[in-house]
Amino acid sequence: MFRYVSNRLITSVVLALFATLVVFLIASVVPGDPILAMLGDLAASKPEIVAEYRARWGLDLPLWQQYWIFLQRLFHGDLGISISTGRPVLADIAQYAPATVELGTIAFVLSIAIGVPFGIVAAVWRDSWVDHSARFISLVGVSSPVFWLAFIALTIFYGWLQIAPGPGRLDPIDFPPANVTGSFLIDSLIAGDWETFKTAFAHLILPSLVLCAATLGLITRITRASMLETLGQDYVRVARAKGMKERAVIVRHALPNALIPVITLAGLAYANLLTGTVLTETIFSWPGLGRYTFRSALSLDLPAIMGMTLLFAIVYLIINLLVDLSYALVDPRVLKR
Amino acid sequence: MTDSVAVSDDVQVAAIELRAESTSTRGQRWRRRYGLAAIGVAIIVAWMLVALLAPWIAPYRPDLVDVTQRLLPPSAAHWLGTDTLGRDVLSRLLYGARVSLFVSILVVLLGAAFGILVGGIAAYAGGWVEHALMRFTDLVLCFPPIILAMAIAAALGIGTVNTMIAMLVVWWPKFARLARGLVLVQRHQEYVEAAHVIGYGPGRVLLKHILPNALGPLIVLCTLDVGHAILVFAGLSFLGLGVVPPTAEWGAMVSEGRELVEQWWCATFAGLAIFTVVMGFNFLGDGVRDWLDPRARRR
Amino acid sequence: MKQSTVQRLAMRRRVLKLLGAGSAAAAGGWPALQATAQARNATLVIGLDISDAGAVTPDPARMNFYTPPLTTRTVYETLITLAPGDYQTLRPLLAESWERTPDGKGFRFRLRKNVKFVSGAPMTADDVKFSFDRLVNVKDQPSAYADNLGRVEVVDPYTVDVFPTNMDLPLLTILTAPSCGIYEKKIALANGATADADAKNTDKAAQWFGTTSIGTGPYKLVTWERNVQVTMVRNPHYWNGTPGFERVIIRHIGDGGAQLLALKRGDIDVAFNLSPEQLASVSDSADLAIAAEPTFDYVYMAITSSPELNPILARKEARQAIAYAIDYDGIRDALFGGVGVRPASFIPYGIGGSSKPFVEQARYGLNPAKAKEMLAKAGVPDGFEFEMAYGTAAIAGASFPVIAQKMQSDLAKVGIKAQLRPMDYANLRTVYYQGKASSVVLSWNLNAVEPWLWGSAAVDRVAKRVHWNVPPTTRTALSAAAAERDKGKQEALYQDFQRLLIDQANLIVLLQPVYRVAYRKRIKDFRLTGAGWMAELGAAKPA
Repeated sequence: MFRYVSNRLITSVVLALFATLVVFLIASVVPGDPILAMLGDLAASKPEIVAEYRARWGLDLPLWQQYWIFLQRLFHGDLGISISTGRPVLADIAQYAPATVELGTIAFVLSIAIGVPFGIVAAVWRDSWVDHSARFISLVGVSSPVFWLAFIALTIFYGWLQIAPGPGRLDPIDFPPANVTGSFLIDSLIAGDWETFKTAFAHLILPSLVLCAATLGLITRITRASMLETLGQDYVRVARAKGMKERAVIVRHALPNALIPVITLAGLAYANLLTGTVLTETIFSWPGLGRYTFRSALSLDLPAIMGMTLLFAIVYLIINLLVDLSYALVDPRVLKR
Repeated sequence: MTDSVAVSDDVQVAAIELRAESTSTRGQRWRRRYGLAAIGVAIIVAWMLVALLAPWIAPYRPDLVDVTQRLLPPSAAHWLGTDTLGRDVLSRLLYGARVSLFVSILVVLLGAAFGILVGGIAAYAGGWVEHALMRFTDLVLCFPPIILAMAIAAALGIGTVNTMIAMLVVWWPKFARLARGLVLVQRHQEYVEAAHVIGYGPGRVLLKHILPNALGPLIVLCTLDVGHAILVFAGLSFLGLGVVPPTAEWGAMVSEGRELVEQWWCATFAGLAIFTVVMGFNFLGDGVRDWLDPRARRR
Repeated sequence: MKQSTVQRLAMRRRVLKLLGAGSAAAAGGWPALQATAQARNATLVIGLDISDAGAVTPDPARMNFYTPPLTTRTVYETLITLAPGDYQTLRPLLAESWERTPDGKGFRFRLRKNVKFVSGAPMTADDVKFSFDRLVNVKDQPSAYADNLGRVEVVDPYTVDVFPTNMDLPLLTILTAPSCGIYEKKIALANGATADADAKNTDKAAQWFGTTSIGTGPYKLVTWERNVQVTMVRNPHYWNGTPGFERVIIRHIGDGGAQLLALKRGDIDVAFNLSPEQLASVSDSADLAIAAEPTFDYVYMAITSSPELNPILARKEARQAIAYAIDYDGIRDALFGGVGVRPASFIPYGIGGSSKPFVEQARYGLNPAKAKEMLAKAGVPDGFEFEMAYGTAAIAGASFPVIAQKMQSDLAKVGIKAQLRPMDYANLRTVYYQGKASSVVLSWNLNAVEPWLWGSAAVDRVAKRVHWNVPPTTRTALSAAAAERDKGKQEALYQDFQRLLIDQANLIVLLQPVYRVAYRKRIKDFRLTGAGWMAELGAAKPA
């Protein structure tokens, strides 16, 4: 078991580094020069100034040397300095990650909190209107383009009805609470700042609802499906035959078993939520990692691009490992391979 | 970058859903099982007809700019209004179907072909070949798709073909994984051993014997995946990659209309179009899955 | 508007935080509400998108030219300046008067005697010399525009001589730019700044300039947080009266819609980045007004002359055909809200001889018949194809992709097929600067209000990018105009130069937008300026 995990971990690290290498190569053959995006017109056409800026960012070195420097820095826990923000990439990530994690986690919690009960009820009262509406809603969630949902939500609730606050984590005039975790909800509670908590919460509602739509659909369907299968099992029939109350049958026998596949798929869904927020963040002006990645790619900010690739790859691989481990807990045969 | 979950999970969901049973009449079961699928087929066929016949049924040319007619609300002359350059939204919507359907179907077919090949070979060969191929698959999977798409756009230029290339690069791994899993199951079956004993070569066994048995879930994945591809392509177009103007494309239309809250028709209808097409494919995928499962047939 | 208790408490808390007051004050009781409202009234809050890539520091010697000048010019003043609306007359600011030096090779500035820095120390010629020398020797971006700034000599504590490196090129207008702001030498030296010849490597004050300011302007910088906020407080030692507000805050709001909402709710007093559609909804509100100011920025199209890139574009008549085919008025009315002017060529409307009569007579206008005639002359009566590259940004609320699509449809009407090539910004500028683009649609931003800057750009670096072999006669025309001292004659010479550019048709200017800003009527004397630093914040005061 330990060997399996350590093997996977080593493989993950190697793969993540490989991913950065590939991204580095692709980004290096791109004809665009990120320095030219930063400088004013006159400065950009003066070779001395351009050369000086390029040297400042180490862009005049040969490719292999640039990548080697990247690896060396990485070994010391340094991801380099972002060309467009001028700050260490790690500082950028530390600033933007909490926003994405907060959003993704709330969306995930919503999809579980709504999806699981919905799925259970749909399974228990199969073919009722609850069941049909559950199936319909889940299909709607999975089929809607997120950017369109976001636009519709903003237009209706913010533009017309004016009951939702605008884009961003807080109102433009608000100040974030003192930084402890980076999550505005938690930090404002720690600081005892009820006003900021309410504003932050209000701003989270629309984006997390929009973001959770697809995941909600999936969780509902799989909970329902898993519940249906469990309810059809023999031991459930036996429990019923023994005279157990229906409610007890469902809660104590069917539910725990039904939830196992839900949990494993939910883990993957969470990973996907955390890494797939770029569209939602763009529309809601959410200062998170998705938007940061997009902007870095747009301005060919090589250090930031590599940093995000590494982060993305590691998050993805680790969550995959955890999910596989949970499969192994259920079915030990997996480990034998 | 897509805000939805890996579709192969859908297949697993599907498998579980099917094993549950019910007790109702044959007709009721048929309607329940295939009713939605029929609706899905109807939707898809309708959109395909729209895509094919767009040049004939569109009331205006999709690139007809007339800034004196800009941002008009829906009316008799323009059923869905006009956009910021005075182009008829309905016509652009109809032409947009061509790009969306064509690109997504092509990406899924090519991605599936390549992925199934890789996964099938990996599972059949086993050993270090399988290990290497699966690590390669993992490598591609752990790429941030948005960075890849933008890097390719920066290197090759923005355009439909280049975006398709970017999508293909990240599309095949899920097919590879699924194919590997399915072929693995088949590989240890007795009929495969029998085929070996008879003397069939590995290629023949793989293509003519194993794959046809493993095809079911793969076809389901393909069908469900077209919807997913449409969403991804529209998302990339929304971000500014994707098609080159003035080609009409649904994601780009939502992007252009995004700031125009007062003129909601610019973005709303395009998104609605995406939604209906994807839902159609999802309905159809559900139905195909129901139909292909041997346990369902038996009843 | 009646507010509930909860809302008023919330507002008070926000305003107190805005003003940096401690939490103890925030926890105070009802009486503090009155004080809060007063504090809010004494604060000017500006909503502006300050996320531009170069906005790293307000240091005059290092700042980039998009949004930082607004802050830099408010905390640092220049020797001479230009008033909003009048960009031809140089006005005294820190210098009372100026004349030529006795040897005729430079300019002698007599400094105002009652000017103090924020520290209370008086401004002297030493500070001027230090600021200018540092600008030149640090050799960062602003120095490229101050090429002509040469030797600076202190004559006496209130007199300083400035010598241009080339007498035939302009200097005075360059000195109006915010990068030529004056700051206190003593404090700068104490914090790592240096004006020595090797300042490029030894000056260490760049970060420090973002933490405070040491100038003579009406306000003093307190904080500069990238992408978040810039805070300035009143300069108690300001020489020119009492500035209107206790504080000025520039708040980053990236979304025009969010700015509009914040403005309507009173959270901010000025919104800079509204689109034409959003501005239209401002007129519904009785508390809001719109300030407009023509600027010297413009949207232009650069077309190549290189036969390798496109043999047809290499023919002048083909480029002129393009110029005659564009629906300029349509672009202005539909995409820019109907406001904006259009110069004749690369030198913007309002300076360098670009007066109304000249511009209207000399420039290209929509003329499809003439366009077809030019196509025939170019040997392609049925039209031709070419590539047009552009970025994803926006200017004055209109996005380049939309502008490009409109142009594409205009050109198609006379048979010219423009293939659109959208690109990210880095790619776009690289392709353009390396001379590999057939044509590019971009915006040109002002650095200082000096016609020679545009003219020299056109015949030097831009000409290289479009592979234009500039004939000696054109260069002579430009240098003659630059060297001419008589105003009237100079304008005529610049007009001659412009006619050469127009005929050449490598650079077609589409529109010079009028920047429009929405603000709350409680702010009086809020003046925008086209001189490069967006607004004169020193003049604004509460009603």
